[in-house]
Amino acid sequence: MEDYDVRSAASILASVKEQEERFEQLTRALEEERRHVTLQLERSAAPPNPPGSQPPAWQQVAMQEQSPSNATSLAMMQEPQEVVEETVTIEEDPGTPTSHVSVVTSDDGTTRRTETKVTKMVKTVTTRTVRQVPLGPDGLPLPEGSSPLGSYTDSIDRRYVKNGGDRFITPQATSTLTRSYNNSYNDSYGEAPESQYVRHYGLHDGYVDLSDSYGSLSRGVNFRPPRYPYLPNSYRPENSYTLPIRKDDYGHVAQPQVPMGISAADLNRSQPERFQAEPYGLEDDRRSLGPEEEEPYELEPDYSTASRRTLQGANRGRTHREPLRDVPRVRGYPDEAIEAELIDERHPYIHGMYSAPLAQPERGSMASLDRMGGRRSPSIDSIRKDPRWRDPDLPEVIAMLGHPIDPVKSNAAAYLQHLCYENDKIKKDVRQLKGIPVLVGLLDHPKSEVHRKACGALRNISYGKDNDNKVAIKVCDGIPALVRLLRKTNDMEVRELITGTLWNLSSYEPLKMVIINHGLQTLTNEVIIPHSGWEHEPNEDSKPRDAEWTTVFKNTSGCLRNVSSDGAEARRRLRECEGLVDALLHALQSAVGKKDMDNKSVENCVCIMRNLSYHVHKEVPGAERFTDPSALHAPGSAGPQRKKKDDAGCFGGKKAKGRKNGENDKNYDTLDLPKRSEPSKGFELLYQPEVVRLYLSLLTESQNYNTLEAAAGALQNLSAGQWTWSNYIRATVRKEKGLPILVELLRSDSDKVVRAVSIALRNLSIDRRNKDLIGSYAMRDLVSNLPSGQQRPAKNLEEDTVVAILNTIHEIVTDSSENARSLAQAQAIEKLVAINRTSQSARETKAASHVLQTVWSYKELRNALTKDGWNKSHFQTTMATTPKATKNGKPGYDDTTLPLMEKNQDGYSTIDQRDKDCKYKTADGPVDQTEREPLKNDTNRKHYIRTNRPAVSLVDACDVKPQPVDSWV
Amino acid sequence: MSNYIPGQPLTAVVERIEILKLRQGDNLILGFSIGGGIDQDPGQNPFTNDKTDKGIYVTRITEKGPAEVAGLREGDKIMQVNGWDMTMVTHDQARKRLTKKNQDVVRLLVTRRSLEEAVKHSMGPCLKP
Repeated sequence: MEDYDVRSAASILASVKEQEERFEQLTRALEEERRHVTLQLERSAAPPNPPGSQPPAWQQVAMQEQSPSNATSLAMMQEPQEVVEETVTIEEDPGTPTSHVSVVTSDDGTTRRTETKVTKMVKTVTTRTVRQVPLGPDGLPLPEGSSPLGSYTDSIDRRYVKNGGDRFITPQATSTLTRSYNNSYNDSYGEAPESQYVRHYGLHDGYVDLSDSYGSLSRGVNFRPPRYPYLPNSYRPENSYTLPIRKDDYGHVAQPQVPMGISAADLNRSQPERFQAEPYGLEDDRRSLGPEEEEPYELEPDYSTASRRTLQGANRGRTHREPLRDVPRVRGYPDEAIEAELIDERHPYIHGMYSAPLAQPERGSMASLDRMGGRRSPSIDSIRKDPRWRDPDLPEVIAMLGHPIDPVKSNAAAYLQHLCYENDKIKKDVRQLKGIPVLVGLLDHPKSEVHRKACGALRNISYGKDNDNKVAIKVCDGIPALVRLLRKTNDMEVRELITGTLWNLSSYEPLKMVIINHGLQTLTNEVIIPHSGWEHEPNEDSKPRDAEWTTVFKNTSGCLRNVSSDGAEARRRLRECEGLVDALLHALQSAVGKKDMDNKSVENCVCIMRNLSYHVHKEVPGAERFTDPSALHAPGSAGPQRKKKDDAGCFGGKKAKGRKNGENDKNYDTLDLPKRSEPSKGFELLYQPEVVRLYLSLLTESQNYNTLEAAAGALQNLSAGQWTWSNYIRATVRKEKGLPILVELLRSDSDKVVRAVSIALRNLSIDRRNKDLIGSYAMRDLVSNLPSGQQRPAKNLEEDTVVAILNTIHEIVTDSSENARSLAQAQAIEKLVAINRTSQSARETKAASHVLQTVWSYKELRNALTKDGWNKSHFQTTMATTPKATKNGKPGYDDTTLPLMEKNQDGYSTIDQRDKDCKYKTADGPVDQTEREPLKNDTNRKHYIRTNRPAVSLVDACDVKPQPVDSWV
Repeated sequence: MSNYIPGQPLTAVVERIEILKLRQGDNLILGFSIGGGIDQDPGQNPFTNDKTDKGIYVTRITEKGPAEVAGLREGDKIMQVNGWDMTMVTHDQARKRLTKKNQDVVRLLVTRRSLEEAVKHSMGPCLKP
């Protein structure tokens, strides 16, 4: 310890001396410059600002004038005192320079919300100041340009000059800004904000100087000017000198981390939204995100501290606080903890900064500093009585997006991102103020800082229920711009932002096709394929790669999941998108191989697969070639035709059960699968019997209800329809021992899963052998899911699920008196009668009555039934529904429930209905998931879903969240 | 739990409970029900004030059932089952862990508020009667 202290003390001493030397130099230079400036000032006294002698200053001034925010600045100018603004400006310096360096900027912007805010605010202030400058009476800008020492020096001089001009004013301004310095110096101890500051910094005793500069980079600048006149030389030089350097150093050091930090921060930021949106996704997400989340914490301290401090120290009280609050809320960590971490983290940085203050490469960036400084200096003129400067209002921020200086743009965008976080009102305001086209325009900006921040803002804006925001992005061609940027950038963080934005956009129905048109192939080629590990032409030597569950992949798959529910055309496009199905399948195979099946990416992939499997038998090119020969004779249009086919199958089976079974088996064993000279690829993979094993693995292993539901839904879709492949699929499920797996899932706590499995079983029972097996082994589990009268089982399944189960039971007992017998033996009659008599739901009543009628139709069972105390009246329908009537109802798909019942009634397979159902699921489910809503909305959504609609859509929210599950053990 | 400070070591007062499962037909039962889990909404958990606590809680107990006999009580938070952590598991994972068919005995590590309070009292400034 002691050694360490001595050493550090020695090094500090050495560096102090070194600094002092430099300061002296600087001071001399300053003196010189001051003289220079004074001269110039005198010269330019009459004309407001621009001195011809200093080109740099000139340019700056001009730029300022051009800036769109002129109007604002004018207004501000009218206010005589803008001292506060000065301070702000000073603060800006630190921020701006950093941004130039790009290191700092990225930190700030990328940092958590809080940080972002800080940076933004600071920057914003700066901008204003700049504007004011041209207007202001002083010719301050001029002096800046002329500084001989260099940009670095220049900025100092300017301030100095300003101070000199406004000496009296300056002290005020300084007080706010200087807090950090106050600690070391005596100036403003009384200020509360500062005191906080001090505390933090006080921790590192040996490094007091550094910490000051570090924390209050901007302040340092401000600080100095006031002091200059009053304090001894030695102090001034130090301050001015060290501060800038430290900043740079800091930024520099932080730089490597910045990207990570940023991404982490973004993740956090975005995640809250997403997480909230998907209440139940939490578990999965957490797992996948876990590591990432940790990173932010570590990283945060470094740069976040800086920004936070600045905030605190600065006048930002309001803004600052807000962000902080957000952070803890999101992560659930108390502020104190974060603070503590931050402090701890700071040390290393300080060290780094200390060691080589001047040697940093960032020096080059100094030039930018100067520029900024020049602008700011004009602001000195305007002095505000109120020591606090105000935040920029929304129009100002949006105007700043068009500011000629890139860091201002990026900071404004970052600030917007922060403002828009879960604030629908601001999003709307941004839209109405025409901010969205500007942000979209910035996507094509060459500087990564700018397009990154713009993208971040767009992501937050695109999130939420207000679809007008999404439309606004689309209207100004935001979607192609995002896709373009995705092709261009290799920056992971930017890619995450882009894909996150697209995911948000994809939740709005009308935009789905637009995304497909502009982005499908790019998303597939740039993200899905590379991250899935699939290779077009696998190198024989290389091992097959595993999928990487990156955030980019998760976002992209979520986006595609949403767009895949947009109907037949969307499905066709996705199926035919080169490499997409192959890559998704590969990713899922790799998930199964690694037993990593609970994450969100897997869920998204399975959902896409399920959606693409919907109606394959009708929509896939060449599907007609595989149409089940037994149905060929069926006349009429597609709908009737299918019914006929089903009819034939079902009744045929009934009449000649044994023969039918034999036929089926034979079919599967000997019936030639279409011959292939080469392995199947693309959409063909969707319905190859090989996928059955994949889905069954998922059904066995995954803990994610959504994944389970989607996998069951995929089997349901594939086993629907009358074509060769569905025959194979049905038989393959049996041969792969999939029926017990499905039956087991009937016991799931998840309503959705039970429903999907139940419908899948119904489709599978089109296969006669399956029907017998399901009748023997699944009946009890099916029946146990039925409510008994008014009493619902613990699971409290939704109406849709109950109806689905009833329909499945109906399908199973149709044409099979054996199955009807086992139904009766499973104590189902009592439940069915109760439902038929007392259920509040007309659909349940109807479905139950269909089953009862079918059971009663087996004369051989009546004896046993009568013995159990039942009579014909129990099996008679209580409603006046005739099969034919129901049949007519079929065309209208509006009512999801009707089709199922009616078809059953007619003895048709439920395929169509199923499909319909399926479609609902796919479409709605994904959408809901995609849209991340705040947690609070969760309940609402649930209600919404429950009230009706495709109850299916609830997918995520429903299952996980619903009521607290209570399991007896 | 609610005053847990991140970064600080967490101390919980736990009780070991061993439950002998009861055979009921084909089933082995423990005689209690659980709620919670990381996939559940902790806001609906009536047994804790900490609305971020996604642990597994005992929600109901069968009278004179094996769990009650063993000393388990409603509102107990299950920390471990046979050594497996139960504080970061889904509801279903917890259920499966408790219902292993090949285990006749389940060893639980539980914590309950009354326990914590008792310890707090005993450690605080002693008020001796």
